[in-house]
Amino acid sequence: MAVKRKIIKERVPTPERPVEERIKSFVEVNLGYTFELAVKEAERCLQCPYNYAPCIKGCPVHINIPGFIGKLVEYRNDPDKAVKEALNVIWACNSLPATTGRVCPQEDQCEMNCVMGKVGDKINIGKLERFVADYAREHGIDEELLFEMVPRIEKKGQKVAIIGAGPAGLTAAGELAKLGYDVTIYEALHEAGGVLMYGIPEFRLPKSIVESEIDKLKKLGVKILTDHIVGKTVTMEELLKEYDAVFIGSGAGTPRLINAPGINLNGIYTANEFLTRVNLMKAYLFPEYDTPVKVGKRVIVIGAGNTGMDAARSARRFGAEVTIAYRRGEEDVSARVEEVEHAKEEGIKFVYFVNPVEFIGDEKGNVKAVKFEKMKALDERDSRGKRKIVGTGEYVTIEADTVIIAIGKHPNRLIINTPGLEVDRRGKIVVNENLMTSIPGVFAGGDAIRGEATVILAMGDGRKAAKAIHEYLTEKRESQNA
Amino acid sequence: MYRILDKKELAMKEVWYKIHAPHVAKKVQPGQFVIVRAFPNGERIPLTPIRWDREEGWIELVTFVRGKTTMRMANELKPGDALLNVAGPLGNPAEMKKFGKILAIGLITGIVEVFPIAKAWQEIGNDVTTLHVSPNPMVVLREDLENSVSRHIVEGFDLQPGWGMNEIAQELVKRAVAKVKELLESEHWDLVFIVGPAGGQKAVFEVVKEYGIPMEADLHPIMVDGTGMCGSCRVTVGGEVKFACIDGPGFDAYKVDWDELIHRVGFYTDMEKKAMEEYMKLFKQTPQGGEQ
Repeated sequence: MAVKRKIIKERVPTPERPVEERIKSFVEVNLGYTFELAVKEAERCLQCPYNYAPCIKGCPVHINIPGFIGKLVEYRNDPDKAVKEALNVIWACNSLPATTGRVCPQEDQCEMNCVMGKVGDKINIGKLERFVADYAREHGIDEELLFEMVPRIEKKGQKVAIIGAGPAGLTAAGELAKLGYDVTIYEALHEAGGVLMYGIPEFRLPKSIVESEIDKLKKLGVKILTDHIVGKTVTMEELLKEYDAVFIGSGAGTPRLINAPGINLNGIYTANEFLTRVNLMKAYLFPEYDTPVKVGKRVIVIGAGNTGMDAARSARRFGAEVTIAYRRGEEDVSARVEEVEHAKEEGIKFVYFVNPVEFIGDEKGNVKAVKFEKMKALDERDSRGKRKIVGTGEYVTIEADTVIIAIGKHPNRLIINTPGLEVDRRGKIVVNENLMTSIPGVFAGGDAIRGEATVILAMGDGRKAAKAIHEYLTEKRESQNA
Repeated sequence: MYRILDKKELAMKEVWYKIHAPHVAKKVQPGQFVIVRAFPNGERIPLTPIRWDREEGWIELVTFVRGKTTMRMANELKPGDALLNVAGPLGNPAEMKKFGKILAIGLITGIVEVFPIAKAWQEIGNDVTTLHVSPNPMVVLREDLENSVSRHIVEGFDLQPGWGMNEIAQELVKRAVAKVKELLESEHWDLVFIVGPAGGQKAVFEVVKEYGIPMEADLHPIMVDGTGMCGSCRVTVGGEVKFACIDGPGFDAYKVDWDELIHRVGFYTDMEKKAMEEYMKLFKQTPQGGEQ
């Protein structure tokens, strides 16, 4: 393969919907690659060897990235074959590529140390992954692969319960089903998908794509029980009687609030409530859909993570003037680069170094303004490498008729009250290096153990836990047979 | 999907459903609720099971037609159809202990939630009086209550022509306050319990407070998921922010910030009205619609 290739420095761009069009609707912003464009981008890849490739090292689920990219180039004359081969490589490590291709922070993971970055633009790995998944779905190639895979699965005769149908739970379920376990997911909401359904907006991750990824899991034999709240409908004790192992992927379901006067005024939403109304309940289609949401003329979103961007960009689509208020500076914004860029393009304003101290209401109990203390950064850094901030004693008041709090979440309280389940003081479930909790046979991953992280880290945990559960159950099987 | 085993219109606007929902029937306790979604484009609404059979796997629900969802359910669902979702049981069960003599008040629809709790309290040895304050002819559960507790009082009133929601609410509060005063004045009580619209709950609380009797209230702020995930149902109780869905729905009435709750439950009134109007329009345009 010692073919001398010309280095192409610039990324092949992916088309995006124009700003004027997208701020009026919830349709997806990025349109993705066509096969021709994908091959062009794939050709830029230097094809680092497996043991060296920094992209594989940067990926939480260790997808063989040069491997799948190489297939696109290798079979460039046969798009269906190219995609099928590429998808096969991805599926070995990741069963939700249409999702991760869209929502992973690639710039901090696979793309971060891409060797191409030394001479030009890094390879657009996320968009290539998304292309493979989308093309496969649209051409029935994923079905074909599944069809070949399912009969080869050897049934193990052991049952696993998964709590929560979010990224961690879905990944663990997929991996365990492929290994031949009888998997049942318990989901509290009426739809599977967790944060992929209720949290991430349609314009970033179309819900039909999530549904199709979940359909694939069902074809692998995964059962999903919606409307079941573990801790209420069924207890952990009951699950342990019925199943050989349990995985908790219950996420960070409890929104954090700001401890400031006026927090319960009307018009102040948690990002979870706002996004659930908009995404899961489709309030942007009210009154065709029954669930309402109220977005005023001036919206303040507090917090500058991915959730903050999602909330701000959703509010913008209702025609509001939107300001993101963040207590730190621009350098510490934790959202994906693409989301911040899109938010700015869409006319969202950013105000830095402001910390909310009071929500001011009118006589009807509706919010009308937020009082912030101005903050300043010190040179000293905290444990996460962010500059420490302190109040200046100066205040600024910004008018708003809707406020969305996007400062983070705590683990779901219903699960952490399980007797015998060890949690830390922040409510995070304590696990060992195999992701097993203090209850034997009960494993956990995702935001339930991390507090608040990303979709891909949750998926990485789901995969790791599936492996650990497989080892645990293999041992159990063998000791029973002995 | 949860099959509707039976459905009956009990009285004007009152509809009773028997639903196959074994996962809820197996676990539900008095004071807990379920979240129902009936239509693909529908909202999630909290409802209270009034009776259940753990073996046969059914629960009974009663709705009062007051918005688009309850009206659509009344109009469009029939036995043999299914509810898309019945999630639960949610919330904490009511505290089951011997309080002594209890006055359990249901304002309008609140009586539905009072019934299973009052019945269970009576069964463990409390002396329970239930009071239902409501415009006539809403007499749902009357017989059931008469057969389940020491005494059931109905304080009904006729709707006058031209009354809107405000007038009904005013009359409701007037009646409830007068009746509760009369009962507190003439008898000794160990506990007052109330379920109903927040404004009415507050008015009754103001009376009970004068007598210093312990009082519990089940709160009904607006909910979306019902599992502690969204924070829509947050209420201030004892100066702290609580979520009614996972911390409640029962709270000490003395600690509740009633004015805040009243503001919060009214937040979507205009949009609820709009949804209803749109639905009625549709209903009139449909040739097989019932407006003949």
